[in-house]
Amino acid sequence: MIQAHNINKWFGSLHVLKDVSLTVNPGEVVVIIGPSGSGKSTFLRCLNYLEPINDGYIVVDGRQVGKKKTAGGRLVDDSRKNIYRLRSTIGMVFQQFNLFPHQTALENVMEGPVTVCKTAVSEARKKAELMLEKVGLADKADAYPIQLSGGQKQRVAIARALAMQPKAMLFDEPTSALDPELVGGVLAVIKDLAREGMTMVVVSHEMGFAREVADRVIFMDNGSIVEESSPQQIFTSPQHPRTREFLSKILG
Amino acid sequence: MQLGPIDVEFLLQILPLLLKGAILTVELTLLAIFFGTIIGLFVALAKISRFKVLAITGGIYTWMIRGIPLLVQLYILYFGLPQVGIELSAHTAAVAGLSICGGAYIAEIIRAGIQSIDKGQMEAALSLGMSYAQAFRRVILPQAYRRLLPPMGNEFITLMKDSSLVSIITMTELLRQGKLLSNSTFRSMEIFLTVAAIYLFLTTIFICLIGRLEKRLAISDGD
Repeated sequence: MIQAHNINKWFGSLHVLKDVSLTVNPGEVVVIIGPSGSGKSTFLRCLNYLEPINDGYIVVDGRQVGKKKTAGGRLVDDSRKNIYRLRSTIGMVFQQFNLFPHQTALENVMEGPVTVCKTAVSEARKKAELMLEKVGLADKADAYPIQLSGGQKQRVAIARALAMQPKAMLFDEPTSALDPELVGGVLAVIKDLAREGMTMVVVSHEMGFAREVADRVIFMDNGSIVEESSPQQIFTSPQHPRTREFLSKILG
Repeated sequence: MQLGPIDVEFLLQILPLLLKGAILTVELTLLAIFFGTIIGLFVALAKISRFKVLAITGGIYTWMIRGIPLLVQLYILYFGLPQVGIELSAHTAAVAGLSICGGAYIAEIIRAGIQSIDKGQMEAALSLGMSYAQAFRRVILPQAYRRLLPPMGNEFITLMKDSSLVSIITMTELLRQGKLLSNSTFRSMEIFLTVAAIYLFLTTIFICLIGRLEKRLAISDGD
């Protein structure tokens, strides 16, 4: 579903991603953990071209991200249109929710289908209502983001991404900005998605969640993938000293 | 009837002429707001554009227009351009001068408004698959323009007051009407106090209108 090959990225002289390679199979849930500044969020944002990469290549659903082959076989920058299409097939959920504050919850969820897919408003409304129901917020359809709790906002944001019927979902620390008591509700929604077979890449600090939901856990540090294995393996007998150090700090 | 230094009968006599001038003042202001806002929007978009040429052109525009007195700009438009074969009527020159000048300030207001919107909003819109244009239209501008209203209101009031400068290029708006009357009657005090009162009245109406608009938007904002 998603293949990243030797991704390198620099911010100025700062080398933030160093030869990062990752394959995510259809229906797989990959959780990326690691200290802040390790490049995990940046890597996630490269997958839907919110960040361009400097070297390497990414293939999503059989198409190379941000590049295309010419008739002569040369690789050139892809058209904006194709990049927009790619993004519409990958849902993204942000740490800070990024709901549109001038729209109600329902309008937020309708926005993608109506503006991007040109779905008829009445149909988009029906679908959006279903999506809100799915995340347990059918009764908040007419609420503006400012009237919602952090957990509710994040669930609306998930519904907004799902409304585009994405082939994969990216979660960028979806619970890091939440009060502890609101984390569970958001994680429950993500777990449901995992059970339904959604392909997902989740950057998270929730180790319990990773252990329960992940098919594979990736530990990133300092711009590289340090260790990659099953949650069982990585949480009980981490191989790399840096993984051990990080986990001992986080799990106490 | 005499009210202090003011002769009320005289005042009533000149009032219709002054009001005629005031109508032209309002007309010029509204035209300048309309064209100035269009210019401002495009210049603002140019200034934040990814395309260097556009960004630089926008930058030069606001730098020059804001750095040259409006009066000088009006002189160039009305007295200077005929020398190179472009003859503008006083009305056209006045509207053009005020719009070009207002546009530069409005561009700065719009640019600041757009850039004050959290970066995450654009990212969320893009991640749904929107184009930049769609993201601007559907997500960024609707939020920006709520924040724009107060500074825009200020700019509109400034434009109304600055419209008095076009009196110098023979536009008989409120101030020039007053000047003409005072030249023929030598009653400067009554005339200019009335002119001042009319300006104050007009700007007050503007302030009230913008205040009401702000309230209406705040409600639909869900705050």
